[in-house]
Amino acid sequence: MNQHAYLRAYMAGIVVPTIFLLLAATAFTIARYVYNVPVPIERVIVFPMAVVPNLWGLWNIFFIASHQRTRLSIGIHGAILPLILGPLGILMTSLLDFTIPDFATHIFPVAAPVALIVYYLVWKYFVGSLNQIVGIA
Amino acid sequence: MNQEEKDRASNTNAQRNEINEIKHLLREAMPPLPSDQLEPRADLWPRLRARLDSQHTTDRAASNVNGKSQRIRVTWFDWALTALAAAALLIFPGIIPALLYHF
Repeated sequence: MNQHAYLRAYMAGIVVPTIFLLLAATAFTIARYVYNVPVPIERVIVFPMAVVPNLWGLWNIFFIASHQRTRLSIGIHGAILPLILGPLGILMTSLLDFTIPDFATHIFPVAAPVALIVYYLVWKYFVGSLNQIVGIA
Repeated sequence: MNQEEKDRASNTNAQRNEINEIKHLLREAMPPLPSDQLEPRADLWPRLRARLDSQHTTDRAASNVNGKSQRIRVTWFDWALTALAAAALLIFPGIIPALLYHF
């Protein structure tokens, strides 16, 4: 049962954001095309669609690979991920010449700790459970 | 018989010859097994069943390490964090699209 541990870690890692992406994409599409929100989301949707799930998978591989040495809990390990995803998302939006709405920049001091908390809980309970199910916890 | 019918007949003959040739080649490549080798010497099902049973027992033991079940227990600290995050989302709903984008 210890074969292909990294492949199983990758698959366990991408489950949560892939399912969540359905909700996020639906919310974005409704906001854009039903309520005509004047933000061209389709230009930056590639980030949550392609980068985020893959990074989650890779981050879970990194957790399995480094856990013996670091002994870091999976929740804390997951809470570090927004520190990488946040700047990457901002970089992506600036590269694609996407203007971040004013409310998003003002809300950042509150959004950052909430993101850390959400990531901590999701990694601890969801990704941790998935790792147990696939036998790599 | 016109020319078209003649062509069709010759094509059918050529196809039949090809099929016969392939049949012949296949029979040559895979000669029939002797009758005593058609079935395994012993019944393999009991061995397979024993293997499946042992694997099932191992998996169950792995999922209940030290007698602890896999039920998720949420600590009071995590409940407090959940409440904090939920309150922040209610008070500042503008966080939701930013979170959706980074999730």
